Amino acid sequence: MATPAICIRNLTKDFAIGMRGLKLRAVEDLCLEVGDNEIFGLLGPNGSGKSTTIKIILGLLEASTGNCEIYGKPSKLVDARRRVGFLPESPYFYRYLTGRELVRYYARICMVARAEIDAAVDSVIKLVGMTEAADRRVGTYSKGMLQRIGLAQSLVHDPQLVILDEPTAGVDPLGSAAIAEIVRELKRRGKTILLSSHLLAQVEGLCDRVAILHRGKLVREGRVDDLVEEKDAESLVVQGLNAEARAAVEAEIKAQGGRLARVEKPKLSLDAYFLKEVHRREIEHVTQQEGEEEL
Amino acid sequence: MNITDSFTRIRLIAGTTFLEAVRQKFFNSLLLISIALVASSTFFQQFDFGTGELKFITDFGFGALFFFGSILSITATTQLFFNEMENRTALTMLAKPVYKLEFLTGKFLGAHLLMLCFTLVITVVLSGILYWREMVLLERLGNELLSNGSLIRYGDVFLFGFLQWMKFGIIAAFVLFVASFSNTNLYTIVVSFFMLIICQLQYIARDTYSGMEAGWERILVLGLGLIFPNFQLFNIGDQLVFDVEKAPAVSTVFQITGYGAFYSIAFVLLAQVNFRRREI
Repeated sequence: MATPAICIRNLTKDFAIGMRGLKLRAVEDLCLEVGDNEIFGLLGPNGSGKSTTIKIILGLLEASTGNCEIYGKPSKLVDARRRVGFLPESPYFYRYLTGRELVRYYARICMVARAEIDAAVDSVIKLVGMTEAADRRVGTYSKGMLQRIGLAQSLVHDPQLVILDEPTAGVDPLGSAAIAEIVRELKRRGKTILLSSHLLAQVEGLCDRVAILHRGKLVREGRVDDLVEEKDAESLVVQGLNAEARAAVEAEIKAQGGRLARVEKPKLSLDAYFLKEVHRREIEHVTQQEGEEEL
Repeated sequence: MNITDSFTRIRLIAGTTFLEAVRQKFFNSLLLISIALVASSTFFQQFDFGTGELKFITDFGFGALFFFGSILSITATTQLFFNEMENRTALTMLAKPVYKLEFLTGKFLGAHLLMLCFTLVITVVLSGILYWREMVLLERLGNELLSNGSLIRYGDVFLFGFLQWMKFGIIAAFVLFVASFSNTNLYTIVVSFFMLIICQLQYIARDTYSGMEAGWERILVLGLGLIFPNFQLFNIGDQLVFDVEKAPAVSTVFQITGYGAFYSIAFVLLAQVNFRRREI
């Protein structure tokens, strides 16, 4: 059996508050396993313990009890982080560096071999779609560009596990869709991705499995489809039925012992609708420009 | 832990810390004020000190170096540390395979490098002014004042600068130590200034200790004298520069350097003990 990317066993984290040392329990008896080459979503409201869990996985916090391993190594060891890339929420970087310098800097921090640095930097900058802006200073980047260059720095040392904390927070839907596509590409390349997000619609279409935390406790864990599907119902999407045909279908359902629970028009999600419209306008704009150039 | 890799990471962190520091307006302002103050000492020539003028300029310059250097060392180190915490660049950095001790050492060396620049600039400006006034004085009073080629031993001006730089190293290290458990800039700066005053006046405790009878009070004073470094040891400006007979032995300079290095390393290691448990 393959070693899981992340293995958390009975993890509890208490924070001491104030002079009297009162304890605040941020994570309670958490057990979680993230398999290799999986996109795993860590979901939960603010204060549910997502960030604390991520910090423990990254070795930035020590667990009060329990243990956490990354590919079989205790996460508190610096050595365990050699195979991990991390994008923090709302990342802030040295503003005076260009995007390329920044990624190069982190490549050197991660001890990427000198002979490989240029190729590694170019490759991740291309992957996140920042080639054109790579030589601009980070201080001039928009929020979406910061997220992308943040993603590039997290990938430059070719980690096997990538942890993304709210990767699309504050990013417009187009930027979010681009980041989601990068995440899918990482999975195609065999990486494991752990992401925490509040944008549930996006997580739903992206993650293989999710865990829902509430007040530090694991509430649900499983495949997205398994969690959200209505197990005792099925939907038939039909087109071109007139009223008589529909009445006949309803009668047949009744005759077969079924019950018509509801009739509704299939809907696109607002996200998908927005992206479809913007994409259509973009194509129109480009076609129009090409037409003007030909004239 | 690969030592070569470790040194590379420390060098990289120190480099960015230094770059962040020299880009701060505060550093540039303080540097300009210090240069202006050292240069202004020449305006006191109207009092006609004779050769005493050079002593006055030297004392004035050394005073400015210590005063502004201490302020810069405390505030710059505090700001560099808390910038990393508040902007969460430390989070990105420490999520990489970087030891917390490497991070702290990089921060310390970056701040120390900044102080080296500051000390060098002030020392060069001071030496330039001293040289100019020395030439003027020699022209006015004649060459009979010369004992061994010049009135001032310029090497000692730089030696004094070096010792002050070692002292700034201790200051930067204990600022990091305070910052490692503190939550705010203000707290760190206030506590560090108090520590600076204690270290500056530490000789009083040592004097008291030598006059005390054996007992727990004597042990307490001895303990305090060991915990807080004695900054008076670094103030040997009077023995340097002018007085050939009183000039300290090379071994003394090495001892003071070692003393400074010991306390700097000790404070960085103590900072690491706190920082290890700190939530980033």
